[in-house]
Amino acid sequence: MILLEAFSTPVNYFPILIQLVLAIGFVIVMMGATHLLGPKRKTTDKLENFECGIEQEGNARQPLAVKYFLVAILFVLFDVEVIFFYPYAINFRELGWNGFIAVVMFVAFFILGFTYIIKKGALNWED
Amino acid sequence: MLNLVWLVPLFPLIGFIITGLGRNHLGKASGWIASLAILASFVVSALIFIELKTLPEDIAEHTTGSHVVHLFNFINTHAMQIAFDFQIDALSSIFLLVITGIGFLIHIYSISYMSHDEGFGKFFAYLNLFVFSMLLLVLGANYLILFIGWEGVGLCSYLLIGFWYKNIAYTDAAKKAFIMNRIGDLGFLIGMFLLYSKCNALDFKSIENMMPTLMNDPSYITAVALCFFIGATGKSAQIPLFTWLPDAMAGPTPVSALIHAATMVTAGVYMIARSNFLYSVAPIAQQVILIIGLATALLAATIATQQNDIKKVLAYSTVSQLGFMFMALGVGAYTAAIFHVITHAFFKALLFLGSGSVIHAVDGEQDIRNMGGLKKYMKITYITFFIGCIAIAGIPPLSGFFSKDEIMMHIFTHGTNGKIFWILGMLAAMMTAYYMFRLLFITFHGTYRGKGHPHESPALMTMPLIVLAALSIVGGFIGIPEVFGGHHALNAFLEPILLKSQALQTSIYELSHQNEILLMGVAVFIACIGITMAWFGFKKYNAADTTKGIAKFAEDKWYIDELYDKVIVKPLFGISKWIEKIIEKAGIDGIVNGVGRLIQVGSTKIRLLQSGLVGFYLFMFVLGIILLFALQMWLVKF
Amino acid sequence: MNAIVLSGIWGVVMMFAGLFLKSSKQIQWTALLGIIALLVVSILDYQAHSVQAQTYFGMMTIDVYTSWFSILITACCAMYLLIFHKDIAAVGKNEAEYFALIFFVMCGVYLLASYSNLLILFLGIEILSIPQYILAGSDKENIKSNEASLKYFLMGAFSTGLLLMGMTLIYGATGSFDITSEKFVGQFEQLSSMSSLSFVGILLLLISFGFKVSAAPLHLWTPDVYDGSPTAFTPFMATIVKVSVFVAFIRLFHFSFGNVSDAWQIAIASMIVLTLIIGNVTAVYQQSLKRMMAYSSIAQAGFMLFSIFAVNSTLAYKGILLYSVVYSLASIGVFAVIIKMKDYTYDGFNGLAKKQPVLAFTATVCLLSLVGIPLTGGFFAKYFVLSAVVEQGKYIWIVVFAVLMAAISAYYYFRVIRSMYFKTGEAAMHTEPTTWDKTLLILNAMIILLLGVLPSLVFG
Repeated sequence: MILLEAFSTPVNYFPILIQLVLAIGFVIVMMGATHLLGPKRKTTDKLENFECGIEQEGNARQPLAVKYFLVAILFVLFDVEVIFFYPYAINFRELGWNGFIAVVMFVAFFILGFTYIIKKGALNWED
Repeated sequence: MLNLVWLVPLFPLIGFIITGLGRNHLGKASGWIASLAILASFVVSALIFIELKTLPEDIAEHTTGSHVVHLFNFINTHAMQIAFDFQIDALSSIFLLVITGIGFLIHIYSISYMSHDEGFGKFFAYLNLFVFSMLLLVLGANYLILFIGWEGVGLCSYLLIGFWYKNIAYTDAAKKAFIMNRIGDLGFLIGMFLLYSKCNALDFKSIENMMPTLMNDPSYITAVALCFFIGATGKSAQIPLFTWLPDAMAGPTPVSALIHAATMVTAGVYMIARSNFLYSVAPIAQQVILIIGLATALLAATIATQQNDIKKVLAYSTVSQLGFMFMALGVGAYTAAIFHVITHAFFKALLFLGSGSVIHAVDGEQDIRNMGGLKKYMKITYITFFIGCIAIAGIPPLSGFFSKDEIMMHIFTHGTNGKIFWILGMLAAMMTAYYMFRLLFITFHGTYRGKGHPHESPALMTMPLIVLAALSIVGGFIGIPEVFGGHHALNAFLEPILLKSQALQTSIYELSHQNEILLMGVAVFIACIGITMAWFGFKKYNAADTTKGIAKFAEDKWYIDELYDKVIVKPLFGISKWIEKIIEKAGIDGIVNGVGRLIQVGSTKIRLLQSGLVGFYLFMFVLGIILLFALQMWLVKF
Repeated sequence: MNAIVLSGIWGVVMMFAGLFLKSSKQIQWTALLGIIALLVVSILDYQAHSVQAQTYFGMMTIDVYTSWFSILITACCAMYLLIFHKDIAAVGKNEAEYFALIFFVMCGVYLLASYSNLLILFLGIEILSIPQYILAGSDKENIKSNEASLKYFLMGAFSTGLLLMGMTLIYGATGSFDITSEKFVGQFEQLSSMSSLSFVGILLLLISFGFKVSAAPLHLWTPDVYDGSPTAFTPFMATIVKVSVFVAFIRLFHFSFGNVSDAWQIAIASMIVLTLIIGNVTAVYQQSLKRMMAYSSIAQAGFMLFSIFAVNSTLAYKGILLYSVVYSLASIGVFAVIIKMKDYTYDGFNGLAKKQPVLAFTATVCLLSLVGIPLTGGFFAKYFVLSAVVEQGKYIWIVVFAVLMAAISAYYYFRVIRSMYFKTGEAAMHTEPTTWDKTLLILNAMIILLLGVLPSLVFG
């Protein structure tokens, strides 16, 4: 209420508030009801994390090989750069030869970078 | 010729460089080279003197008889410009002659006197350097050049007093001379600063021309004049800074003759005579000079009567005679003072060289109680020494009579108290005659009381004695008073440079001829009394006598050295010890070391900030940002 | 402009040189060729722009000043590479990449020298900084190097955030990133009409800048990073990078924020005081020369801050040019000697003068220049920046304070000289200097001495 008074026509927003209160209230009431009313039988099997039906092994927080991240980052990098092709594709005609040269330069750098990572062996999974 | 004046100091400088660099290689030649250098500058000085005398009258009048030779700009800044100029006029040309003339004789004498000394070459290098500095002093056209020479002669004096530096007492004497002179120099320096602060110039001519405006501020002029006089008391051994001169006799005898009798010690007289335009309008300063001069003359004379060291007697005699010169300056009789400087240079150099001859003869003995009867061993020395004695005692027609008499006349006619000063001056004159003849009788008469066989000195030493003796006899004729129908040549010659101050203050004494002759008679009579007293007291001297009472007091130099030691030196040491302990150790050292320690401690503390933890760094980073924001917002209201 | 392009391209060239050139010598020669080419190109740029300034798309303005500074800084970098190229190659396996990163940093330096738009300033700062994070950690086996890299990166990210925040606020107040635009200039014409957004923005820019040049209280990363980084890269980070940040910000603060100097002068004054105290006082305690030089670089930054502090003064601009060159050369000279030693402590330098007189002499010249002794360039450098403040007439007390602090600095610099000349010891060498090294070091020392006599040589 206090918040609403700050606006010039607070009354207009009043129904929205009622709707919010009703929505939150409904969720709380329903969750509370199932929790209270439902039957409970606690066994160790039931309390275990569900892992697609396979028995779980060890801790999830294990260090991963840095290669995962390397590949992931390289993927994101190249993936994001491809996004630039969309606006170019749309404005292809308007940009003309100048645009074409710019994109060729862009692709050239792109290929240079790609060559570099291949040559460096960044994508080699086995050492 | 006048424009070649720079040659005069140049020759001794070259001599100094040659003898100084070759002091270990030249051997005996260095003595002759040094003497030749002085002779050369003497010849140039003589030529300058002759040309100056024969200058057409109108030019002489037009320039008040002085010629300034510009050499180069010494200090050349926007705020301060001082030229390296030489000024030649009657005053400086007379001094040139005296310095180079007597200097030459003493150089010749030294060749023989110092012949067995291991520092032979060094000695002549110093002597030449001294002559160079002294010439700079008298030639300088402004106070700064004068001061350079002034310091130069002080340095040479120091070097030569401590010439036999292996004797610790001699080096102490040298230090004493230097320190005393420095005290005086401080006064001189302050005087120069005072002068420059108001006149914006230091050359004599500009200041002389500025005098009419400066006269509106008499206290200022008196202050400057007194400051300069303090400088003069140091250099010319007047009360209270006179005690160094007797000690300065530690140096070789020719040095005593040249520096501590004939030339350097008269620098103060020269400086005041040069500044006559200043002193003539500062009557208080003049009065101070007169009283100090008289007191010095009397005090030194009493001490001289009881000394037994031949050179000490002469030293106190010098102090006493300088006192006479200052008395003359005090009554504005500049010509008389210069006159006495000249005659004194002759006979005192003679006496010192004679004493050197005596010391040489008796194998370095200086105590007159161990001499006696030398008359028959060394005829020439005896006769020349005797001439020196009667000259200084003031027996006519020798030179001392004329110059001293002129001073006494001026004093007699000076103001209302002139007659009292005259009587006291006469007392000093009587003591002069007494102690000089006491010295003569004890040394040369009676029987020989020392060891060994005295002998006459070689010709190289006796020749200068003879020349100086001749000069002592005839030297007075340049200033024969009018009462004898003579023409006071010196007065006429010096007149142009004193013109301005004579216009400000008349200094020619007015005395009837009868009175003048009467006074002269009294003076001669008093001198004779002194001589007679000495004759009866010491013609058959017996060394066994011990002094007591007032005589003992005088023999121990009135305990002035002891007084200075108690009143000045000891408290000064006390203060400096206190300063060393409290201010230096605890204060300054404490602060300096404290800062050092603070930084050390601060360093170890600030280092702790560097914990190596990034989280902490970021926390400090944020704190820093808040600090900077807070400071900026707090100090600049936004 | 060509220098910017060439430095970027040469960075790529160096990357590929690492792939295709097998010998380490060839890679080093490629790098040296690149820096010489860069020097030539920047001189050509200077001649091209000596008559007229040129603006590129409202983003960059290249005029006679920026291109002159480019020449100077390229020359310093050339000196650095000539002296250190062997040491750089010896840091680790990826030698070509180290050179590539240095060229990328140079690209950032040129951007910083010529920006006329806050975006390019930001871009320049980032191009300058990110390669440095990698360089700091390039000695992978060394845990200190890794730590340095991570610290630098974390704190650098923080400061970048502040920089962006500051720019955002200024954009909010002016509506423009272009520092030559009317909206931008109008905002900073006088203090009374400036919005409070700008006030906060300027201070945030100042703080971010203070971080980059390691001014206290934002300096805490400096000793750890400079000490932990491979010794071959420390002089690069401490000199060329640092002074170009100064030049970048002096443009902004003098020409854009000069009229509203009241809004930031107190902050920078407090930075100066803190920097001088912390830099000098802490340096006194250090035992390792490398770490001492890290603190010394903080202290010297305190002096360079004076040039920013003294607004509307041509002396300040001259001062920062001279200071940049002299400080860079002197630090490079000292580090060139340090890297040759086995033991970086003071004791490790005992007796160096006997063993390696040339190294000891050149190090002495460089140290004297860092103290600011006359006849070395360091004297005039300090003289110009301090007299710029005196000329301004306000805050004279800071100058007095700075001179006192310079006296303290003499203590730890002279300690090195004392070790080299007056103590006896082994002075064990890590690598023996070649004649080539000695020649370069003597050349370096001669330039410092020459600038001590003719400082006007660097004013262009």
